[in-house]
Amino acid sequence: MIKVDTSTIIDAPIEDVWALIRDFNSHVHWHPAIAASHIEDGRTGDAVGAIRAFHLTTGEALREELLSLSDAERSFSYRILTSDVPLLNYTAHVTLRPVTASARTYWRWWSRFDTAPGQEAELEQTVREGVYHAGFDAVSARLCG
Amino acid sequence: MAELYRSDVIPATATRVWSVVRDFNALPLWTPFVASSRIEGGMPADRVGCVRNFRLRDGGVIREKLLMLDDHAHACTYAILEAPMPVTNYVATLRLSPVARDGACFAEWTAEFDCAAADEPALLRQIGDGVFATALTHLRQRFGGRA
Repeated sequence: MIKVDTSTIIDAPIEDVWALIRDFNSHVHWHPAIAASHIEDGRTGDAVGAIRAFHLTTGEALREELLSLSDAERSFSYRILTSDVPLLNYTAHVTLRPVTASARTYWRWWSRFDTAPGQEAELEQTVREGVYHAGFDAVSARLCG
Repeated sequence: MAELYRSDVIPATATRVWSVVRDFNALPLWTPFVASSRIEGGMPADRVGCVRNFRLRDGGVIREKLLMLDDHAHACTYAILEAPMPVTNYVATLRLSPVARDGACFAEWTAEFDCAAADEPALLRQIGDGVFATALTHLRQRFGGRA
């Protein structure tokens, strides 16, 4: 089991960050790795149980299910159902907290997953850098740029 | 039940900041408003259940009991036993979380307490700004952060 746990500070109020990332289908609007995405079966992106089906800019297709969504905690969690990227048993969590001293936002993004033997280091870096840190940078650029 | 939340970003790792705030008897070292502190009964400051007895610079004396100390989560919880402020059932938690990408830490301080309704706005301001935010600012500056 691989664990990736990373976090950052976004120079924007928590309400702005949450408004941008809350919807499960919003990643197509802010994450640079996502080429196209839709929610299956005509559900909305804030319905727990919703499935987002999407393609990466590099072509791989994934389907992920929203497991929890909390407007009180400003957090959500999700898991991969099917993926062209070898991420197995992947469950991820996103949580935001307000930095009251400076009207900024603490953002933690973490996951656990398995992959094929020998690919652990590569997949860990892909998830940490290519997904989470790239997402942090994109939201920062959009809200503070 | 009144609730308080204040948070700040400290420009040092959670491990480094924890080494300062973990000591339940160290308020005079990292807050600007505590003049002196001792642990009652000669107990070690990391023994859960110990009581810190400290004097504020304005002369007030506060006694607080350590309810929880967590070296893994970098958190501690304590309750007020005696204080000049008109509060009861006061329980507070200070928690440090890593800001992994920046080598910094996110410090959160929460409290819950009961008080007379008429006192609540002033107490929320006094404890939230006068104690928590002031101490967190002091901690940030201690580790080289901006004023």
